[in-house]
This record gives sequence, C-alpha cells and structure tokens, in this order.
Amino acid sequence: MKKYLSLILAALMVLALLTGCANTPAESADPEPSSTATIAEPPESAEPVEPAEPVEIVIWHENNETIAGTIQEQLSDIPGVTVKLERKEQMSDALKMVGNDPEAAPDMYLFAHDKIGVYAAMGILAPITEFVSADAFADIMPMAVDATTYKGEQYSIPIYFETLLFMYNKALMDAPPATTDELLELMKSGTTADSYVFVEQHSTSYNSAPWIQGFGGYILNSDAAPGLGTQEFQDALAYHKQFIQYQPSDGEYNTVTTLFTEGKAASTIGGPWLVPDLNAAGLDLGISAMPTLPNGEPLKPFSGVQGIQVLKHAAADKPDAVKAVLEGLLRPEVGIALANIANSAPVNLKAYDDPDVAANEMIMVMRDIAANVVPMPNIPEMDVMWTVTDNLLAAVNKNGEDIKTTCEAAQAEALEQIAAMQ
Amino acid sequence: MLKRRLAPWLYSTPLFIIIVAVILFPIAYTLYISFTNMNVYHWFEFETIGLENYKKALLMLDSGFLPAVLRTILWTAVNIVLQVIIAFFLALGLNSPGLKARTFYKTMLMFPWAMPAYVSILLWRMGMFNTEFGFLNKLLEMLGFSGINYLSNSTNAFISCVVVNLWQALPFMLIMMDSALQSIDKSYYESALLDGAGFWKRHLNLTLPAIRPIMAAPILMTTFLTFKQFDIVYLLTMQRGGVTGANINTVLTYVYDKAFITNNYGYSSAASILVFVLIIILSSLSRSTLKQEGV
Repeated sequence: MKKYLSLILAALMVLALLTGCANTPAESADPEPSSTATIAEPPESAEPVEPAEPVEIVIWHENNETIAGTIQEQLSDIPGVTVKLERKEQMSDALKMVGNDPEAAPDMYLFAHDKIGVYAAMGILAPITEFVSADAFADIMPMAVDATTYKGEQYSIPIYFETLLFMYNKALMDAPPATTDELLELMKSGTTADSYVFVEQHSTSYNSAPWIQGFGGYILNSDAAPGLGTQEFQDALAYHKQFIQYQPSDGEYNTVTTLFTEGKAASTIGGPWLVPDLNAAGLDLGISAMPTLPNGEPLKPFSGVQGIQVLKHAAADKPDAVKAVLEGLLRPEVGIALANIANSAPVNLKAYDDPDVAANEMIMVMRDIAANVVPMPNIPEMDVMWTVTDNLLAAVNKNGEDIKTTCEAAQAEALEQIAAMQ
Repeated sequence: MLKRRLAPWLYSTPLFIIIVAVILFPIAYTLYISFTNMNVYHWFEFETIGLENYKKALLMLDSGFLPAVLRTILWTAVNIVLQVIIAFFLALGLNSPGLKARTFYKTMLMFPWAMPAYVSILLWRMGMFNTEFGFLNKLLEMLGFSGINYLSNSTNAFISCVVVNLWQALPFMLIMMDSALQSIDKSYYESALLDGAGFWKRHLNLTLPAIRPIMAAPILMTTFLTFKQFDIVYLLTMQRGGVTGANINTVLTYVYDKAFITNNYGYSSAASILVFVLIIILSSLSRSTLKQEGV
C-alpha cells in the first residue's frame, strides 16, 4: 500500500513540476489570426454582421503607473483598438528572451532609446517608418529623432525625455552658480564636516558624462569607437576631480539624494525623477541651466528619450492597429498630458504651446537644456561601456589612480570587450 | 525478479527527471551554446563555430585572471578558517552546562541565515559601511575618530566582504558544529576531567577528533559555496552605479565582468564551462582527500 502511495505522490510531484511549463490561457496564442482586415475593410455583404472585436495592442513598460496610465488613457479613443499597458519587471531581459515569440512577447514596449540598437541588431524590432512618414516628426525635437534612429532607420515614437538638471536648495543657495569655477569656489569656502555645497554621483558614467561631454570628450562615438583614452576625456577627469574632494567620497545615489533631501547639501545634479520626493520633503527647490565650464561650454548631460518601439511580429500581424497607435502617440496631447500629470518633458515641441506646460519651471528648463544634451548612444556596443567607464571613474576618483594610465588601460579594455561582443 | 530489479529504478525516476531538468539540461545547453556564435548579432539564428569561444575565453585568462584565482583561494581559506574557529567556540558556549536561554541565543544566531542575501548585503552596504550615514562611521565619529571608506580600498573592501560573509554563513556552520558537539558522549568528558585534563587538552584531544568526521562534509560544502561566492563581492563593490574602486575580483566576478556584460552568450557560456571545469577539478581533489581521511 505504502509503495503505491509513494508512487502516486511521486507522479503528482512530477506533474506539478511540469505544469509550470504549460501555457496559461492568457499566454496562449490569439485564436483570431488577425482582425485587422476586418477593421480596414467593411464586409461587402448586406447582411447585418456583429461588430468586429477590437484589436488588442499590449505595450510593456517598466515605468511608474502614472506615466503608463496617462499613455493608456491618451490612446483609449483609437477606434477598433484596445491599448493595454502592462508593467513587466526586468523588461529588457524579458524582451531578449521572448522578443520574437508572438505568444509571449508584447506588441510594443515603452523604454529609453538606448537599447534600440541591441534589439534592432537582435532582429526583434520593426522600423516605424513602415507606418509613419518622416513628415510626422516635423514637430519632434531633432535630438529625440536622432536618439531613436539606428543605422538610418527610425525605430521609435519618442514621447518624453529625461536628462540631468542642476538643482539647488533655495534656502541654502541664493542663486545657482553660472560657471563651474564659481561653483568650485563656493565648495572650497562653504563645505564643512557635515554640510556640502554640491554633491553628485561623481563616479558613474551617466553622471560624469556632463563633464566629459562639456570638455568635448565622449564615452563612445557613433562609429562604436570608445573615447576613454582621448585628451579631452582625460582633461575632463582631471578638472572634475577638483570638485570630488569636497564631496562624500562614495558618491552613491542614496548618499547624494539623502544629503540633498535632508538639506545637508545645497545643490546637486540629478534627474527629474527626484523632483516629486524633493517637493514632498518640502524642499524649496530651484532648477537652473547647467553651469558653464572654463571653455565656455555648459555641462552636457546625456538624455534618455522614452518612446514606444514596435516588435516585428506585431508589425507583421497587426499593421493597421500598430499604425493607428503610433499616429495616436504622435499627437501633442500625449506630451501635454504627461507633462501636466507626470511632470515629464515632452519631445513634441507643440506641447510647449500649452499654457500649463509653459508655466512648469522644470519642464521649461529641460526644454532649454535639450539644445545641449547628448542622447545616450543607442548602439549595442554601449552595453559594455557602462561597466568599463564606471570602473575607470571609480579607480580615478575613489582610489586615486593615475588618470592617464587608467584611461589608457580602460580604452584597451573597452576595445577588447567590444571585440568580444562579436 | 524483474519487478524487483526494476522497482528501484521506477522509484528513482521522478528524481532523475528533476535532476535532468534542473541540473543536467542547463549544463548541457550551456555546453552547446558555448560552441555557437549566439550573441546580439546572431541572437536567434546562431550557428556552431567550433572552439572559437574557448580560444577567446582562454585569452581572457590574462594578467588579471591569476590574481583573481589567488584572491579566491585566499578568500575561501580566510572565510573557512574564521567560520570554523568562531562556530566552534560559539557552539562550545551554547553547549556549556547551566547556560540559560540557550534556545533564545540559538534563534538569534540563526537570524542572518533567515534574511535574503540580497537584502542583507545592501543593508550592510548602506546601514553599516556608508561613509556618511553608516553605523560604523557614526560610531567612529562619536569616539572622536575620522570616518573610514570601507569599500573603496581593496584591503578594506576585502575585510568588509569577509565580515558580511561571516555574518551570513556562520549560522549554518554553527548548527552543524552544535549538532556535532551534542553527538559526543558526555562520559568521555567526565573521564577526562577525572584524569585532570584542562580545557584545551579536553577539546584538542577529545572534541576535535570526535567532531572531525561529522564536520568534514559541511566544511567541504561551505568551502565550495565560499569559492563560488558572487553576490557579496559584486553587490558590495561592483554593482552598476555603485562601483567603489576596490579591486577584489574573485574568479566568478572576474569572469562576469569580462564575459557576461558583452551580451555574447556563446563566449560567456565558454567562460562558464571553464569555471565549471575548474570547480569540478577542485571538487575531485577534495573528495579524494576526504576518502583518504576515511570520511
């Protein structure tokens, strides 16, 4: 008896294990091959017919629900199409795994532009110029169009952009410094054991980029050539290092944000995503243009353009619905709603004509800064550059290693890593 | 007769299926991928390219790899020695006659084991080692000393990682040590006391030989876990956006930093297989040592 009982239990255990491999009804293939034809062409028969089921377009995102909800709301009036934004954790990894599987992948996804090259090279993205003409981008910031173009093809409808801003606490700093030299003087005279004039994540690629790019340097150019060994890059590091000695040595996100939020640092460079928490903390927040470097150029941060990209299978299976959604996303109302509800800076220039958007201090500063931002490279090679550059910056800024030697070693390492990608 | 011979296989089948699905298949698939050019540029349509990835992975074993191997051996040795010694004395304390609230102490000592590793590592990083708000620097400031950057210098970072690993791994060693101590017949100690043996003599000549065969397996297991430790070193010193400047790469973090960030799965798989072979060799050596010891 015991023998049979243990056999049954063992069989049940294996069954339970294998059940996880089965498709859930939600994941199973759409029984309708495509209902787009039904939408595009009314039936010829005079017989009354049931109205066609709306085509569902699923858009994955890893964003906050306010932004996703606003986009979904803005796309709710497209006839014959139901747009559903679904949050997906670890979305970029999930897309790599299932991007070409119509049963598991979404139809589109909302993400920053910097992964476009990776997904396009993998072959899961469809160029959107199949659906929207180049003229439709006339009102979009040129920076955003460049950011979302890979190998001459447009792969995204850009919606809003993010970049770093100079933020200051008006209670601790009367006016923002116009130049970085002025900022350095303030740091020298005002930094004490428990309060700082300026704090930043000084040793990460993203946050050091404004200094490097302001000096005319680059981390990776459009030809996939690393620039860690260039003179401009080394000059930027040497100049930037002067500021680091008056900041917390770890330069971590949590440390920097906490110091600024708690009023222990008078200014910082941070992203717009910090603003809601800073306002909630009751900080008298000022946002200004970036200070200029001794060469007369402002700090030039990276920009991340958030947009909607279309997966190949959806472009092939639901072309009409995809086209309708993309056209809907190009309307300035989407950017206006996101600016007013989620404080996001639209890339559609027409959105800035809206009086509420024009009255938003942070968004207007971002519009002005947009002329001097550098879109993050969207080529696949950038994936290895973040780590190599972070290691280089930490070695120089935190461990005091020689700039020239470390930069040259990092350049060699970057070339080696890029070669290893092939 | 046939039924009798088949029965054990039948009973073992579910377990075999699980082992094949969970352990063997991933290894076999990784081995297969290591012979292909699966990377960003050939993500879905990859093809076999022979030993190319292995040639590339062996080139990765450059001047940085040997220090990483030596550091991993040092890391493993330091951690195991400290764990065994501390666990031994803690277990002795927990087994001392007349100790009150023994269960409470044991529960408290088990606590780090119950916490998810990721959470506890990040808590250590922010709560203890942070230069501005960390408990350790606050304590130093209260005592009139200046703060220390625990993670930017390689020596400091190595010590900090050892401390966190001890905090996480000690409970397991302690449970094993405690069980081993409890298995020793108390009458031996009574005889030893009558013969006039002191504390060190009793434990060196009685306790250690008695627990040795019991502790060999847990120590071996912990040695491998420590050897392939990744998350503590990575999260404390190398996490994206939080690189500290310390270079305390172990074999695994080194391979990750060199191969896995390239999105080249063929190359990364070849690197993984090489590390796998290295661990298998070490495992075989340890098993033969244990056999010689009669464990």
